[in-house]
Amino acid sequence: MLPMMLVLAILLPLVAAVGCYFLRVSAIRSLIVLCTGVVLAAVSLALLGQGTFTYSPGTIVGISWDSLITLADFALLFVMLYYAFKLKNQMIKIFVILQIIPLAVFEMFFVDHAVETPAIFADSLSLIMVAVISVIGSLICFFAIPYMKEHEEHLHLVKSRQPQFFFFLVLFLGAMNGLVLSNNILWLYFFFEVTTFCSFMLIGHDQTQIAVKNATRALMLNALGGVAFVFGMIWAYAETGSLDLQVIIQAGPMGGLMLAPLGLLCLAGFTKAAQVPFQSWLLGAMVAPTPVSALLHSSTMVKAGVYIVLRLAPAYAGTFLSQGIALCGAFTFLACAAIAISQSNGKKILAYSTISNLGLIICCAGLNTSWAITAAIILIIFHAASKALLFLCVGTIEHGIGSRDIEDMHGLYLKMPRTAVITIVGVMTMLLPPFGVLLGKWMAIESASGDMFVITMLALGSALSLVFWARWAGILLTAPLRDKVPAESQSALTRLTLTALAGIAVVLSFFSPVIYTKLIEPMVGKSFEITAGVFTSPMGVFAVYPIFIILAAAFIYSWIETKKSASDKTSQTYMCGANVPEAGVQSFIGPMNGPVELKASNYYMKEFFGEEKLTLWVNFVALALIVLMLGGAL
Amino acid sequence: MKTIILIILGIVIAPVLGGLIAGLDRRVTARLQSRFGPPLLQPFYDVAKLFGKDKVVSNFWQVFCSWVYLIAAALSVGLLFAGSDLLLIFFVQAIGAVFLVMGGLSTPSPYSQVGSQRELIQVLTYEPLLILVFASIFMVTGSFRIDEILAYEQPLLIQLPLMFVVLGYALTIKLRKSPFDFSTSHHGHQELVKGMLTEFSGPYLGIIEIGHWYETIFILGICALFWHTSLVGCVLLIASTYFAELIIDNTMARMTWRWMLKYVWSIGLAMSFVNLIWLYAG
Repeated sequence: MLPMMLVLAILLPLVAAVGCYFLRVSAIRSLIVLCTGVVLAAVSLALLGQGTFTYSPGTIVGISWDSLITLADFALLFVMLYYAFKLKNQMIKIFVILQIIPLAVFEMFFVDHAVETPAIFADSLSLIMVAVISVIGSLICFFAIPYMKEHEEHLHLVKSRQPQFFFFLVLFLGAMNGLVLSNNILWLYFFFEVTTFCSFMLIGHDQTQIAVKNATRALMLNALGGVAFVFGMIWAYAETGSLDLQVIIQAGPMGGLMLAPLGLLCLAGFTKAAQVPFQSWLLGAMVAPTPVSALLHSSTMVKAGVYIVLRLAPAYAGTFLSQGIALCGAFTFLACAAIAISQSNGKKILAYSTISNLGLIICCAGLNTSWAITAAIILIIFHAASKALLFLCVGTIEHGIGSRDIEDMHGLYLKMPRTAVITIVGVMTMLLPPFGVLLGKWMAIESASGDMFVITMLALGSALSLVFWARWAGILLTAPLRDKVPAESQSALTRLTLTALAGIAVVLSFFSPVIYTKLIEPMVGKSFEITAGVFTSPMGVFAVYPIFIILAAAFIYSWIETKKSASDKTSQTYMCGANVPEAGVQSFIGPMNGPVELKASNYYMKEFFGEEKLTLWVNFVALALIVLMLGGAL
Repeated sequence: MKTIILIILGIVIAPVLGGLIAGLDRRVTARLQSRFGPPLLQPFYDVAKLFGKDKVVSNFWQVFCSWVYLIAAALSVGLLFAGSDLLLIFFVQAIGAVFLVMGGLSTPSPYSQVGSQRELIQVLTYEPLLILVFASIFMVTGSFRIDEILAYEQPLLIQLPLMFVVLGYALTIKLRKSPFDFSTSHHGHQELVKGMLTEFSGPYLGIIEIGHWYETIFILGICALFWHTSLVGCVLLIASTYFAELIIDNTMARMTWRWMLKYVWSIGLAMSFVNLIWLYAG
């Protein structure tokens, strides 16, 4: 049963991807994507029920899977090299060659191929990741079906490029599942590279100049991460003599020379998770169609980065490296939240907020107490749901109003009431109690409270993120609004995915105590007592069920009061008595007695938080912190 | 059971206390300005009058937001009385703050729009300071739980004097007093009319006023934690703090948000650092 489930989780997406590529009929393709998504989601939940396991797949037609992976690995690297030449990018060439040569030497001369290394190991962390990837990733693929149709209609393409698009989109899910389930570090490296390549192809999908440029940058930075990974891997093998990730981790907590390879592997994680100063590729990735952004930002790619850092956390617990990682993560959290304030492009706000939240997760891995690790896992789960939802909302809004600028979303509730409300729900789940993201943030802040620098950065970052979220949620409602707004039409799949994701973000938050006791506690150890849905420890309390119930009641009551207000009088918008005296006109009498239309826009505080102003300094400080982290490890 | 009784007690007592403090505030302010001032119960008369007025709204989300603001503020005070977790209480309070801003942003009036944007900057300014205050309390007592903090033998003021000053900044901002009163000024005739609250009227403005009383109690409750060991000390501390707020309110002119953000963040962070380093060294 188990091998079957693993095949479904990792290889089915590959088969489906090939199907999407060759069966060029849109109905068949949609069917393949839908079926794959449903099967993946079901398998991931079944695996979650299965619990921890180790597995070695043995051979297929006499060839070991290990050699197949090695073969595929080199094939992939040479494909990347081909693209490096095609794009005439020297840096990528260097980075890819710096992977190929050491890896070849390593495989041929150093690795003892006779030693049996379990290829696959799954604990709660892996299984949670598989569930996040398979459920949320699949929903994003569903959303992509109607979205890409509209997208290509907008572009007026002669020949549809959807087969290729869905090939990489679906393949991505399989690669991610492989990545989080791998125990053999060579396997992990292979899947790591597959995600790099898939993201490169997806970002460049539209083939515009800017898309190609940004895809190139993504490939370059992730190839740099690949180099760090290869050297870290070889060094770790030299120290421990094992390719087994569990052996490498259980050799810790350790000091001395073993810290350097761990530092390099974490650096690879940093590039993948787009931590500053590597953030530029993820920001560039916004040029891709929305489902790609959603996938990269929520359930795949960047989560692979934080997964690696988190997976290795026990190995560097209590070392200087750990503190360095906490500082780097906290700095990213603060810096990206600050820059996000100055942005008016909706996707860019989401991108910076993603990087910021990943920083928080990495910071938790660095803090490395069981509390902090719990926080990190909770953040991974709930950030994925909320962020996927918000990206898909922006995509829907963009198709609806033709803009992704939040200034153009003033009063969106009048035009797209359904999407507007779901967007606001998404924002609330990122920001407020009792939702999961805030639960994670609460745990993170409380576990960081002993560290003066980290807690200061978390406090500032947390306040900064409140500003851009609250502002965005508020302006969606801006309108003189007294009558019922006509309902909005949405395609069935769009509606299904948005509603499902909003449901996951809200309902799953309610079950966070259950997630903790069933999944996280057995793995990281007990740090909270749970009674009646209340997280309790001598240091803090977070009452999930009571607050959830009270707030739900509050919202229902407030909504009833709102309904009752339908009979209230309508006021004119206050304009100091200079309103143009016509019903329904939002203008005031200005100079020369002419009407002037009302216009208000957000404060972006560019003189404090401008992207141009901060990025250079942020990159500089982040680089210094990484040098500190790695230097301290050496 | 005890917890539930405490929550209910908090929710019932807090607005009464908050209203009385607002009344006292107006009387003392009047005396400072050589006026006689309104009766002590004037805030209650005002709110009662607001509830008697016609209901008028321009966007129905205003109604929703004002109710959520009130309930979140009440809940945070209830949790405070029940001795819950400081950070949790603070985050619940933030729900109210966010919905109030959303209510302000929901109408197109430029006064309301600008006021709401300014309010967000106020939140941005006080929120990190409050989190640092809570973290410093944690460093002294080893817990974020109020019931655990109350079991600590010494007044926190001895070890966290500078953090108390930092809390004072947050208090001034949260109470919307000069020099930080630029999102909703005390007086409706100033440059921004009534800022974020411009479009709220009648009963809905009354709801927000009661929510504000809760928030006053919330912040003063946090202040009280700094001298929790004796009732006299606690009352003395709160009274003198509030009086200091009034003096500041009456002697300062309103400043801009740029000034506030730079000034409060730099001074607040510097003082927090000094105080936290004491704790580390100690």
